[in-house]
Amino acid sequence: MWLWLAKGIRVPLAAGALVLAAYGLFFASPYELRVLTVCGIFALLVIGFQYIFGHVGAVSLAQATFFGLGAYVTGVLGATYELGFLVTFPLSCLVPLLLAMVVGIPVLKLEEHYFALATLGIGLVVVLIAVQWQEVTGGTNGLPGVPSVRLLGVEIRDRLHLFIFVWSVLILGALIAYQVTRGLYGRVFHLVRESRIAASSLGIDVDRLRFNAFLLSAFYGGAAGALMAHVIRVVSPENLELSVMITCLTMTVIGGRTRIAGAIVGAILIVHLRESFRILESYTLMAYGAVTLLVLIAAPYGLIGALERLRARLIPEPVDSPPTARQLSALTAAKAGGEGGSLLEVERVSKHFGGVRALEDVSLHLYRGEVVGLIGPNGSGKTTLVNIVSGLYRADAGRLTFKGQDITNQPPHLISRLGMARTFQHINLADDLTALDNIAVARATRERSGLQKSIFTVGPDPCLQMARRNAMAAAEMLGIGPFATTPCGNLPYGTRRRVEVARAVATEPELLLLDEPAAGLNEEEQRDLAARIRRIADFGITVLVIEHNLVFLRSLAERLVCLDHGQVIASGSPEEVQRDAAVIEAYLGRDEAPERGQTVAGGDSERLASQR
Amino acid sequence: MTFIQLVLSGLALGAAYALVALGFVFIVNATGAVNFAQGDFVMAGGYAAILLSTSFSVSFYMLLPLVAVVTFLLGVLLAWVAYFPLMRRPPATVFISTLLCGMILQNIFLVAFGPEARSGPSIAGAGMVRFENLEISRQSIATIVVAIGLIALQYLLFARTQTGRRLRATAEDRDMARAVGIPATSLIAVTFGIGTSLAGIAGALLANQFFVSPTGGIPLSVFAYIAVVIGGWGSLAGAVLGSMLISVFQVIVSAYVSYAVATGALYAAVLLIFLLRPQGIFSERVQRRV
Repeated sequence: MWLWLAKGIRVPLAAGALVLAAYGLFFASPYELRVLTVCGIFALLVIGFQYIFGHVGAVSLAQATFFGLGAYVTGVLGATYELGFLVTFPLSCLVPLLLAMVVGIPVLKLEEHYFALATLGIGLVVVLIAVQWQEVTGGTNGLPGVPSVRLLGVEIRDRLHLFIFVWSVLILGALIAYQVTRGLYGRVFHLVRESRIAASSLGIDVDRLRFNAFLLSAFYGGAAGALMAHVIRVVSPENLELSVMITCLTMTVIGGRTRIAGAIVGAILIVHLRESFRILESYTLMAYGAVTLLVLIAAPYGLIGALERLRARLIPEPVDSPPTARQLSALTAAKAGGEGGSLLEVERVSKHFGGVRALEDVSLHLYRGEVVGLIGPNGSGKTTLVNIVSGLYRADAGRLTFKGQDITNQPPHLISRLGMARTFQHINLADDLTALDNIAVARATRERSGLQKSIFTVGPDPCLQMARRNAMAAAEMLGIGPFATTPCGNLPYGTRRRVEVARAVATEPELLLLDEPAAGLNEEEQRDLAARIRRIADFGITVLVIEHNLVFLRSLAERLVCLDHGQVIASGSPEEVQRDAAVIEAYLGRDEAPERGQTVAGGDSERLASQR
Repeated sequence: MTFIQLVLSGLALGAAYALVALGFVFIVNATGAVNFAQGDFVMAGGYAAILLSTSFSVSFYMLLPLVAVVTFLLGVLLAWVAYFPLMRRPPATVFISTLLCGMILQNIFLVAFGPEARSGPSIAGAGMVRFENLEISRQSIATIVVAIGLIALQYLLFARTQTGRRLRATAEDRDMARAVGIPATSLIAVTFGIGTSLAGIAGALLANQFFVSPTGGIPLSVFAYIAVVIGGWGSLAGAVLGSMLISVFQVIVSAYVSYAVATGALYAAVLLIFLLRPQGIFSERVQRRV
């Protein structure tokens, strides 16, 4: 408990919460109570918005739509059909949820801006319907006479009671949000926000996760809208309008986009700001815009985020001691799978980017337990091949089989779950998570971390604890145990590379694909890394390493495959391939032979032929 | 009204949309930034035309060039306020900042011009032109002519001039452009200016027939965006084609059914495109670099 309070700015926040509660319960005037009630509703709306906007990082512009829809459901059912709260409230949450389901399937896969615009478009359609469908919605005038909340025969009319009721719902909503994000599941959100590609190649179903976040935000939006209808007693198209969306966005950005306290602080600040400049509404909106823009530029994590960072600078955060390592049992058991059998078969795979033939008829077989080096000049198609094998790119032609199963054009998370893991040329880590937590995310699938599970977890999250202990084992295998509790953003480049390898190892793969793991490392680091990869391979894990550096490969690989212009030009033992005339020509042109032991080409990043 | 006449007025509207969408694509290509305020710049152009013609009684020859200058400067300002401070952040940040700038613009319009919709000056005089039994307004003809002229000018600028080559180099790889001595930052600001001034000119052209209002730009941002989605992200020809398709569709369905149905059907169509062909109707699938 005390350790929990000592983190971040929880002490002042708890004190603030007590002051706020005392003010609301004992000192606030009826007018101030009403304002506070509205603050509570907006805070609930914003906490919902944080799921999609903050935690998974997709800009949804549909939050006001969910809010307005919730309000309309309560309005129509309450005012016209005189149904009670116990019927209208759940329906107000469910209708937006259904809309989110229907809309989410086509739009959630989309790139950021597509998603934003698709959600905006849906909002505009719903406004059109609300205005046009006059017999049900009352058109532009809206529906008056929404009843007050009636619960189990008790009518909540009194402003104090309404305040208590709304804030109780808010506290419940906040508690759920806290549960969802505090454990391993929340860290998965974090990685999805930073890099969808990295997350999916660790076996995380990114689309599903984003879908869940979108549904949660719709649910909260509907709940907030229903409460608003009960408080204002009128529903109108105003509830659906973009200005509500902008208000919500402003609150989220100002308070902090992943912090529950940020939602509440943002809502309280903005609602009070609006109340004090009521007459000058268009000026207020202008001021909103300007202030939000300023916060966006100056304090990207919002007020709460800025305060937390300030605290960390002034008084260092208490650091959790690293957990004791727990062996990766599936990894150590891999050897039992036997050696020599075929593991991966790439058959005549082709990939074109417009006119560029990145891969042409490439075939490649990997056998259990071997370490293979994939070499070739820049642009020869090495990374493209790995991207196709791991499912990030679709092959234009050809067939891929892994462990006897056809994986051609399967999504990356399913391929990963079969037992394949990879690293990237450009490091894809979440900078503000610790090294240990970056690795622990890779355990999410194995620990069966999920939404329901995390909501109902009491006490420390067992998934996270287990994941961290396994992650520690992976970290130790790569020699980065001492850095486990350091945020990745503060680690030197070479260490970050090793965190990436450790993260891939933590999924306990049977096939490990490493894309230029030694790039940018000095000679000593390279030797150390080669030895560690060798030890991982000794467990019986099959490794495919893309590398330019033949010294590094010679100590590691039993077999080399050389690609040039998208075709396999040589394959065999390192000695054979290095002497192969075609290989020498590909790297150096004619009439020159590489000096033995020299790096044949720079290890800098390879530009993929990709098409705009 | 005959069907052909509807198509003609659809094409005139589409010509204006095409300018908006084209400006939008320039900014996307140069910076990767999605300008959500693009529609508000259309309104800015409309209001500028109204202000110039009523308060300063600028003649219609000078009207479009002056509107272009005003909205160009506003676009450069947008780049400095909403893009440059945030360009190293995730892309989402920039479209939030442009959205906010759009909102600031809307409220400036509201304070300066009031909430009611206003009609702008005509560019080529009032009245209709008759061809056999077709009738088309002079304004529509002017819109089409100006749009074709500007699109041709854009093409010449980008394909034939040194400035155009520098703009393209900056769009392709900003750091490399800088390394060979191209002033990338100013060129990006110029790109923003060109992009928004195209929207502004479209606004001046549309203001006469379609009115300007403080929030009238929001659906236009969406239409420009949809046009670009349909035409294929980043494709200039696709943006023009997409704009034409949208406007003809809108005009025809609005005439036979209703505006609400037309808009609803358009969004439904876009969702369908997202689902079936996320790369747009006319282009190849774009692969993300890993």
